[in-house]
Amino acid sequence: MGYRVGIDIGGTFTDFALLKGSQVVLHKNLSTPADRSVGVMTGLGKLAELEGMPLSGFLGKCDAIVHGTTVADNTLIEMNGALTGLITTEGFRDEIEYRRGFKEDIWDVRLAPPRQITPRRRRLTVPERMLANGSVYKPLDEAAVRECCRKLRKQNVQSVAVSLLFSFVNPAHEQRVAEIVAEEMPGVHISLSHQVLPRAPEYDRTSTTVVDAYVAPRVTSYLEKLVTRLKDGGYRNRLMVMQASGGVMTREYIAGSPIRVLASGPAGGVIGSAHVGAAKGYSNLLCVDMGGTSYDMSVVLGGAAPAEAGWNMHHRYLIGVPMVKVETLGAGGGSICHADNGALEVGPASAGSEPGPICYGRGGTRPTITDALLMLGILTADSGFAGGSFSLTRRGVEEAFRAIGEQMGYGAEEAALDCWRVVNANMSQAVRRTTAGKGIDPKDMVMLAYGGNGPVFAAIQAEDLGIDKVLVPRASPAFSALGALAAKPSIDEERSYIAPALGLDRQKLKALWMQLGERAERYFAEAGFAADAIEAKYQLNMRYRGQNWALTFDMQSQQGVRDLSFVSDNIGAVAIEAFNKRHMEEFGHIREGETPEVTGVRLATSVDTPVPVIGKGLDTPALAARPDKTRRANLGGGYQDTPIFRGSRLQAGHEVVGPAIIEETFTTIVVYPGWKARVDDAGDYELTRAAAAR
Amino acid sequence: MSFELNRKLAARRKPLPTAAKVDPVTAGIIRGALETICFEAATHLGRSASSPIINQSNERNASIIDAQGRLASGSIGTPHLTFVSQLTVRYGLDYVQEYDWGPGDVFLGNDPDCGGGHLPDYNVYAPVYDDHGELILVQALQAHQGDTGGKDPGGFTLEATDIFTEGLAIPCVKLVHRGEKRRDIIRLVERNNRFATFSGDLAAMISGVQMSVKRLQDLIRKWGPDVVKAAINHSIDHTEQRFREEVARWPDGSYEGTVYIDHDTLGTKDVKVHVTCTVQGDQLTVDLAGTDDRRELVGVWNTFANSRGYVMVQLAAMVDPGIVKNEGLFHAVDIRIPEGCIAQPPPNAPAALGSFHPACEITEAVAVALSKVVPGRCQPQVYKIGMPNAVIGFDQHGMWLDQGVDARSMDVSAVAGIDGWGSCPAALGNLLLSEAEDAELRFPVLNISREMTTDAGGPGRWRGQPGSLNVKKVLEPTMAMAWMVSAAHPLSGMCGGEDASPYLNHFEVGSPNERRIELTARAQLPAGAVIAYQHGGGAGFGSPLERDPEAVKEDVLDEYVSLEAARTRYGVVLTGTLENYDLAVDLAATLALREQMKSAKAAKAA
Repeated sequence: MGYRVGIDIGGTFTDFALLKGSQVVLHKNLSTPADRSVGVMTGLGKLAELEGMPLSGFLGKCDAIVHGTTVADNTLIEMNGALTGLITTEGFRDEIEYRRGFKEDIWDVRLAPPRQITPRRRRLTVPERMLANGSVYKPLDEAAVRECCRKLRKQNVQSVAVSLLFSFVNPAHEQRVAEIVAEEMPGVHISLSHQVLPRAPEYDRTSTTVVDAYVAPRVTSYLEKLVTRLKDGGYRNRLMVMQASGGVMTREYIAGSPIRVLASGPAGGVIGSAHVGAAKGYSNLLCVDMGGTSYDMSVVLGGAAPAEAGWNMHHRYLIGVPMVKVETLGAGGGSICHADNGALEVGPASAGSEPGPICYGRGGTRPTITDALLMLGILTADSGFAGGSFSLTRRGVEEAFRAIGEQMGYGAEEAALDCWRVVNANMSQAVRRTTAGKGIDPKDMVMLAYGGNGPVFAAIQAEDLGIDKVLVPRASPAFSALGALAAKPSIDEERSYIAPALGLDRQKLKALWMQLGERAERYFAEAGFAADAIEAKYQLNMRYRGQNWALTFDMQSQQGVRDLSFVSDNIGAVAIEAFNKRHMEEFGHIREGETPEVTGVRLATSVDTPVPVIGKGLDTPALAARPDKTRRANLGGGYQDTPIFRGSRLQAGHEVVGPAIIEETFTTIVVYPGWKARVDDAGDYELTRAAAAR
Repeated sequence: MSFELNRKLAARRKPLPTAAKVDPVTAGIIRGALETICFEAATHLGRSASSPIINQSNERNASIIDAQGRLASGSIGTPHLTFVSQLTVRYGLDYVQEYDWGPGDVFLGNDPDCGGGHLPDYNVYAPVYDDHGELILVQALQAHQGDTGGKDPGGFTLEATDIFTEGLAIPCVKLVHRGEKRRDIIRLVERNNRFATFSGDLAAMISGVQMSVKRLQDLIRKWGPDVVKAAINHSIDHTEQRFREEVARWPDGSYEGTVYIDHDTLGTKDVKVHVTCTVQGDQLTVDLAGTDDRRELVGVWNTFANSRGYVMVQLAAMVDPGIVKNEGLFHAVDIRIPEGCIAQPPPNAPAALGSFHPACEITEAVAVALSKVVPGRCQPQVYKIGMPNAVIGFDQHGMWLDQGVDARSMDVSAVAGIDGWGSCPAALGNLLLSEAEDAELRFPVLNISREMTTDAGGPGRWRGQPGSLNVKKVLEPTMAMAWMVSAAHPLSGMCGGEDASPYLNHFEVGSPNERRIELTARAQLPAGAVIAYQHGGGAGFGSPLERDPEAVKEDVLDEYVSLEAARTRYGVVLTGTLENYDLAVDLAATLALREQMKSAKAAKAA
């Protein structure tokens, strides 16, 4: 049996998870921003070395390399994508600039506009018009398209987005524009809105298509470079790439719509969480990932990470493709604490890793959450930090908190504790905002914490949210890489179809699902998966008349995409029942006597691949663990001598009763008073609240 | 229903009674929790409502009012609604005994004479009790409804002379009693509304407040009622203190702003709004004395609650955006509105259109008055469009209204240092504008153009965002209503910046019946009729002759500004052609032209 390798490239580290049989090996090395494929090859070389074979031999034995990349995200952060032009319907040149009126801060009239990917001079229009029913109202003016091409050529445009009204109903005009652009501007990249996001409304679709055009050349060239390096190195299979939807797919599929890799890194972590949670028997998870600069939150429901298409703002652009919803708050170890007009605030500004928190001793002067944790005794200057790569220093830390305390009218230790409280509250509120509108009560969930600082705050936040159980996987430092291995190859696409639920055209429904099925089958076949291995979920998007947001639900789950016999005569009635059930779950009411309407037809397909086996749970009998030492620490209830445990000495069954601190290689787990932690059979931690054990 | 009631409703309320003390950090944590609950309620409503004006345009808001009737916390949606909500709730709070308030109740109010904004703004609210049965908070959700059951579909009657023409006025009625819906009352309210999707909207509002009540009960249980009360008291005091600190930094003095509305809905010209902002130490007084009070005016009466709210929206946008928006703002500012003027009409005056004008002119006049004091934040938080063309039809389901807020690139003025950008002034940045595809999938209309018009909008050292031309064709016979303003008196330029462009509106464009709507229109349009609305755009800040010539060149390349206007309005001479993207600034010629223009201007002024 061959190897499977999951790779996740982050800002600082590139993480690797190697699966051989049932064993998982983790590895990390530094990322190489200039050419990230170098860091990937270095790490693969290291894995080969660990396996005692040359790189070529190792790569030759790899069944799959699964890769999560931030190249699209970095392009948007650095705003250095392709010089992009937009061709749209006459009369609609400025929708992308209006942003449907949206502004990020309604009280800040000094908020600067987002940098435009397509400034007005590169947004051009052509006379043409489709109607909502797909009929041609005004034919395409081909000469005008050629004139647009001339203007874009003159401006050295490298990538062209085409977004015409109602192209998702009838793409003929968009397709013809693409042909003309290909003739007139050979070599440019072309993104078509009916392919990138086949749905209304025009701003959402156009914005998504423009961003796709902007990132596409860089994503494509990066993946090509990596594929070449892997092939030269001896890898013989297809490179699988993580998508924001939480599935992976071949590079060839991604090339059709590179925007699908945007925000795929955090999605890998969520998929990893779902996988770990499922193994332990928990299907509803609140996943929190707190690192140096941010706090990422997401939910796993019924064992799956729901990918939502909709109002996803990324780097100030709307991205409408399905994404595992990950909300980010500017709260991490490096978040700066400050008193402002009598109010204590934490973040969103971050000290980053250079100079970093004061306690890093690298010249940082502004107190951060990491410094507060040191003040509170949760972290220590007495032993190594971040895997032992360096030690923290107390120099300057207390003075900084004393300065905050003076403004607030108390001492340094109180100030540090209040910073801890504030960041805690910010995170809890952010979680509530994440679950808002989803009909989810965090109370019913298990928290899964990862990232360097996640487990420090996990239990106290869980308590705040009414959650009784927290999981901290031992693999948390390389969690997204593990997630890449757990993610299934999948294709999730939709087609627009708008009709009242009781007036559905059966043949049309079948034709759309057939079309989506054939497309999936073709890409899976190219990736080496048999047609009957495909798990298919046939879904509808539906809403009550007048509603703007559709709900998606399953109509049928089956193996293979050939059998559409479930599309029966009474499919409308079946759909209404399923929709009302979803609406009740989501919004707590239904509208009796109203006929909802279908807005889209969706097919979610996936195939199974070997995944890391995660130890189940708590079969080993509990035994009390003995602390290695004690330290003066304040876990919210005042300073006291607190037992300290070294994670490396804890084994399956070991139980730690709070208040206590467990020091792991890359993280610290705080067992707050009223909580206890137990190491399960897989070496993962399960924290439970005493009250919940009753 | 009197000026006396207005005075009573607006009077400063006492803090919540509690002996508990709370530290600022705990107060901040509880405040954050209240804001999050508002966010959840507003999100719930937006996602489950049926009408575009709520579920796309987001013309709704959630706020939490305390048992004293003070705004404890406001959230997303339309800020103009947040600052109105508490007076409707205060009215209801006067009838706690009479109306048998209790846990599980949900109320509705919209009466402009009982603390309301205008009739379409339905306020659904529910009391929150602690475990001992003490009333602590009220969760309110306010949203603009597509109809109010009055004479005209949509609730806007151009010639209305009293409130009863405009629809059903509800001071305070109970929709849910102890958790049970009162189906008779709900049916009555539904029956008095033409809008096909009204029932769905009302149901969504009820379930939204009910969800929040549960959350607030959990919050009170967690912290204890006294800590929550102390936290709200602290938060309100803190806001007042922060606002006063900002005002204390402003130079003492009296600052005036005058803005005119072209005419009322019957054509009486030049309706005046006058504001005097007086700064004395940390006290700001906003006085509307001098504002028009002619009794014969029609359609330009803004309710008292709205006038207060609109003053506050502008003020909140002119200070540190981090200041928490709650009752403390009203504690910090002395707002004086003469009784009987168009900003505080006598009882039973019509109120619907007043929410557009003079409401926005009040806001604009405050911005003008304080523009020299706060030049970096003097963007008026307005919509200068008279009334968006209401395109209304009927199908088998009932009445439909084409889109909610159907306006593109309107009225985004520049401030010192930043050109106007986007589609709306900042405070309207939560209104997600309806899109053409969503509208055309539902209604028999065809959107032809919504692009910005080159040179529309005000030049300035910092430029106003150009206004757009909205062209629409109706595909079936349809009713359309309009009220035009901001043509004779467009949006004001600031500190030497030029005014925005005039608003223009044409019906039946390209047909023998083509006509410009100068005042109002209530027309039955034939199938195929085209209507075209030119928005005025934003106004400029500072003299256009001081704008960086390179920025003008970039504007020409982007066709915000024409080559001709670059020369005639900005005094910038460019070489090269737009066609070849090789424009360059002729600096010597530009300097010479600008000198010449400045002299001409000085001569003219002399």
